[in-house]
Amino acid sequence: MNTLIALVIAVVVIYLAYVFYAKRVDATIIKADPKKATPAKMYMDGVDFSPTDRNVLYGYQFKSIAAAGPIVGAITAANLWGWLPSLLWLLVGVSFIGWVQDYSAMMMAVRKDGDSLTAISHKLISPRTRNIFLLFIFVYLLMIVGAFGNLLAGTLNTQPSVPLGIIVLAVAGMFAGQMLYKWKMDLIVTTIIVVGVTLLAILIGPVIASSIAGFNAALNTLGLKIYYVETTGAVLPFTTSYMFWLLVVVVFSYLGATLPIWRYAQPVNYIGFWVMALTIVGGLLGAVLAVFLKPAAATFTLPDYKGFDMGTGGALQPLWPMLFVTIACGAISGWHALVSTVGTGRQLEYETDALPVGAGAMFSEMLLSLLALLAISVAGKGAGAAAFANGVGQFLNVIGLDATYGAALGFAAFVIIVITVTQLALRFMRVVLAEWLGDMWAPAKNIHVGTIISAILMIIIVLSGTFTYMWQIFGGANQLMAALALMLVTLWLVETKKNPAYAFWPMLFMYVTCIAANLISAYNLYATVLLKQMGKPGLEFAVFGAGAMIVIAVFLDVAALYIGWDAWKAYGRLKAGKAAPAPAE
Amino acid sequence: MQIGIELVRNRIACALEAFRQVLYGAGAHEIVLYTVRLRANMENLFILVTLGDLIGVPILPPYYSLRLLPYLVPQVSSWKRRVLRERDILDADGLDLLA
Repeated sequence: MNTLIALVIAVVVIYLAYVFYAKRVDATIIKADPKKATPAKMYMDGVDFSPTDRNVLYGYQFKSIAAAGPIVGAITAANLWGWLPSLLWLLVGVSFIGWVQDYSAMMMAVRKDGDSLTAISHKLISPRTRNIFLLFIFVYLLMIVGAFGNLLAGTLNTQPSVPLGIIVLAVAGMFAGQMLYKWKMDLIVTTIIVVGVTLLAILIGPVIASSIAGFNAALNTLGLKIYYVETTGAVLPFTTSYMFWLLVVVVFSYLGATLPIWRYAQPVNYIGFWVMALTIVGGLLGAVLAVFLKPAAATFTLPDYKGFDMGTGGALQPLWPMLFVTIACGAISGWHALVSTVGTGRQLEYETDALPVGAGAMFSEMLLSLLALLAISVAGKGAGAAAFANGVGQFLNVIGLDATYGAALGFAAFVIIVITVTQLALRFMRVVLAEWLGDMWAPAKNIHVGTIISAILMIIIVLSGTFTYMWQIFGGANQLMAALALMLVTLWLVETKKNPAYAFWPMLFMYVTCIAANLISAYNLYATVLLKQMGKPGLEFAVFGAGAMIVIAVFLDVAALYIGWDAWKAYGRLKAGKAAPAPAE
Repeated sequence: MQIGIELVRNRIACALEAFRQVLYGAGAHEIVLYTVRLRANMENLFILVTLGDLIGVPILPPYYSLRLLPYLVPQVSSWKRRVLRERDILDADGLDLLA
């Protein structure tokens, strides 16, 4: 297998799914009508509701959904089960489930006056559903900051060529905010300066790597250690330098969570977009050309299939259901439904734009996930981030960039995209906390208090567990949100007397799969940490964290069952053509 | 022949324009949206200060409100839509940056 064949298969599958399935659903079931007024036109306020060209919206939707998820998930899954199951799930998932959710959620919002997913769940199912949805979102965010914090601290600690780029990114982000919003500088000039400086720092990274490695070694002489349990059952320490870099990540994210968006979070995100875009375009180009120019760099070296159950140390990692939560974005992601409803859905000029924007962006995101899969498949060995970066380095080498600098760019792009998501997740956690606790406990409304609480929760999750379990529980929360979004779509189709089968069957598959996956994650934590390490000195943190994550995994399932039960009752009501009862709150 | 060349030229121009728009959407649209949101927030405050009477908040003496009326009336309908719309937690700033 080589990169070109994989890309050609993916493009053919996308074409067939879009032309013969997506367009058919759009024309025969949803019946998108360019003459119907969209919320963007009906409620135009020049801000949230504003008709926008579909090409612009396609770019906006793609940028909003394509972040760290499609990259990290594909890397983790390919390492666990091999590249073939990952590739198949990406292709099948996006063709029959992924685009269905993004597009249908967008159309549902368009036909429901631009309501958000939580507001629709409040109206279609019950007020309780909305509250459970919010809890889902908080847990999703908590697990994402935990998993990403773990990943970031690990990468910054073990890859001394990366930190310079990240520090310069933070400074360049602040400057970009100042230049754009205060000095009113031209966007193109600002982009050239800040992106150029960040790229320069990334490429200088390998030159000063030995100094950073020396700094890490000096930190580690302090001997501060917290132990955690690996997926293999091995007990390993988080070193002092790891904790230092975790602190750097927390400070970076704290700034993103507390400063005004224009001052820091948005410009950092903007710079990250360009670094990532250049890496993706260069990487994809290299992946295609490698077949002709440097065949060795295009040949898969990762095993195609490693086995069905890849669990070690008493843990279970069966392909079903765990693959389907490990690869979330790229195949399907619940978060997309949130963005599709409150972001893009309110800007659609014509209903007929929903298909190229919603489904088109989802198919494109799959290609990003595929790039990550290709990169790790050709690199073949090494831990996730390292294998990805080395694979990208090989692709960039094909188009003329030295492999060392290519790998540095791959690492930096990976870390930048992960850290930008982490800071925004922390920001949104404090918003959710303020909403929940603000009325009962006034200090929760203070942005610093909310952020500190969120950061402490993040540190607890990071220091108490392994990345794989955190990622899979995050995937469980994310994919369950997708199942619940598809549940809402099914109910909406029933309400409007349309055939719901194209949304119902994917929903049922994802619902059952995610509930099973969460139970397995809870069992894995019990079997590998609680059962074996309970009461052992030095492992209190790991045991406490494993207990907390078991509670989270079980909570997700119970909440999903509650929503499922409420949705079943709503289904009966809607099928009978009755209106929803008046909200009790 | 001339028509064929013209057609190809038009197609290329359309493709380049579409690419430019996609790039703008991915790179700059959220910045523009945020700037518009900032301006709208300022506008909300300004209209509240000048036409607060509309919702029972008499802040400026009516004389000054009357002087400003011709400038503000065109914005009142979109202002009312903005401030009266029921908001959900998912409407918080920054959600669109996070995915």
